[in-house]
Amino acid sequence: MMCERCQEEAVVHLAELVDGRRRERHLCAACARDAGLILPDTPLDLGIDEALQDLIKKHVGELVGELAESFCPDCRLRYMDFRTGGRLGCPHDYQVFGAGLTPMLQRFHGATRHVGKRARSRPGASLRLRLRSQLRQAVAREDYEEAARLRDQIRLKDQHA
Amino acid sequence: MTLDDLTRTSGEWLRGTGPESDIVMCSRIRLARNLADFPFTNRASRSEKAGIESQVKSAIDSAGLEVSYFDVNSMSNLDRQFLVERQIISRELAGGEGPRGVAVTPKENISIMVNEEDHLRIQYMLSGFRLHEVWDEINALDDQLEDDIAYAYSSSLGYLTACPTNVGTGIRVGVMLHLPGIVANKQIDKVFRALQKINLAVRGLYGEGSQAFGDFYQISNQQTLGKSEEEIIKMLTDVVPQVLQFERSARQDLITGRRQHLHDQVSRAYGILKTAQTISSEETMLLLSSVRMGINLGLIDDLAISTVNELFIQTQPAFLQKLRGSELGVEERNVARASYLRSRLSNGRPVEDD
Ligand SMILES: [Zn+2]
Ligand SMILES: [Zn+2]
Repeated sequence: MMCERCQEEAVVHLAELVDGRRRERHLCAACARDAGLILPDTPLDLGIDEALQDLIKKHVGELVGELAESFCPDCRLRYMDFRTGGRLGCPHDYQVFGAGLTPMLQRFHGATRHVGKRARSRPGASLRLRLRSQLRQAVAREDYEEAARLRDQIRLKDQHA
Repeated sequence: MTLDDLTRTSGEWLRGTGPESDIVMCSRIRLARNLADFPFTNRASRSEKAGIESQVKSAIDSAGLEVSYFDVNSMSNLDRQFLVERQIISRELAGGEGPRGVAVTPKENISIMVNEEDHLRIQYMLSGFRLHEVWDEINALDDQLEDDIAYAYSSSLGYLTACPTNVGTGIRVGVMLHLPGIVANKQIDKVFRALQKINLAVRGLYGEGSQAFGDFYQISNQQTLGKSEEEIIKMLTDVVPQVLQFERSARQDLITGRRQHLHDQVSRAYGILKTAQTISSEETMLLLSSVRMGINLGLIDDLAISTVNELFIQTQPAFLQKLRGSELGVEERNVARASYLRSRLSNGRPVEDD
């Protein structure tokens, strides 16, 4: 499983309740630290990792059941919308709907892993995707102060890109 | 370069040069790319689409490409159709909404569509069978654009695209073939089935769902994940020569078995195109296809292959209307088409009577 903010392997897996919905978060150590989560500086020991793996396996069945109603926190696309429209809403959807997409990719491409040209790594990009989604929501609820703050933040990140 | 300038020039890919150009009209590679920090085009707001457009435009500028950018959003329907006919934009981009456009080089080898199904659809075309050359060019161009753009990419799934059928390399490698011989000997369905079995797609001149205009067919890969760009190109460079072999032997059969009949058919086609006073698009395609094969078989010797290639594009409805500077009904177009054909096929001598 990959970090939801960058392309590193996720080592922190959290389930949290947002607006009464269960939301899973998968972060690499660096992004988890960025997000203000307290992490031990030493790598997670195997015991904890295995416990997390078990926890995720236990939830796989549930995830498949929930898949249809699940939605992407960044672009708000529901898996059902994708199944009817055939288009994904944002790059993050490949992780959010991974359980549904993997068998589909296997059927169409006969493969599920990329081989070939590699893009350069751009660590800031998925954070900006998240900020833009927050900006859209702030504009939608007419919170212009927050929108202006987010816009500045995006601009700042753009300069560092 | 303006849109009107385009009515006086034609794309390099129509020149009819390069390897196997008697059958291979052009080689083309398209890359689907998206910006990592925006939703895909179909979920992007108007202002996000404008943001995507300005980022891509500045990346194109810094790459130092000599291009003209056409704002498709503010364009008339006729102009959009004109660019579709020229293979510069897709029907999807023409019919889309919101900020979107295309950057084109003067020779029309490169076109970069912005805010199509994916944020970027980079296309490189060259006349003849030259896929490796096309790949080298487009690969370098992709690298240049990446200097200024953070692409949506994952190490496990590759380049992330709006439709999962393009994920991975995001590449479509294709050749446009002229196959009148295989059409004539009725083996075309057999060839298609064989190609589909190895997961290659066959489409008409104007892409998905379009009729095969003038015996032109595009053969391209469908799968983009799990194979490298070089492996996908190799699939095409392995298979296409077999199709070429098939087409050559079909043409040879036609000329040895029924030389007189074939010569008659080709000459009549040429005659009609040179003299008709009104002619439909369908008939034009059919006759041009015959003439094109006739040139390649040495049955016509006073006409350049590039002229015929250009006429496939320049007898389409929007081109004729741009040339006349006004919208034309079907009947008027048929007259305009015949008149344009007469002027182009008279080796430059003016024979207009209108
Ligand atoms: Zn991370
Ligand atoms: Zn999304």
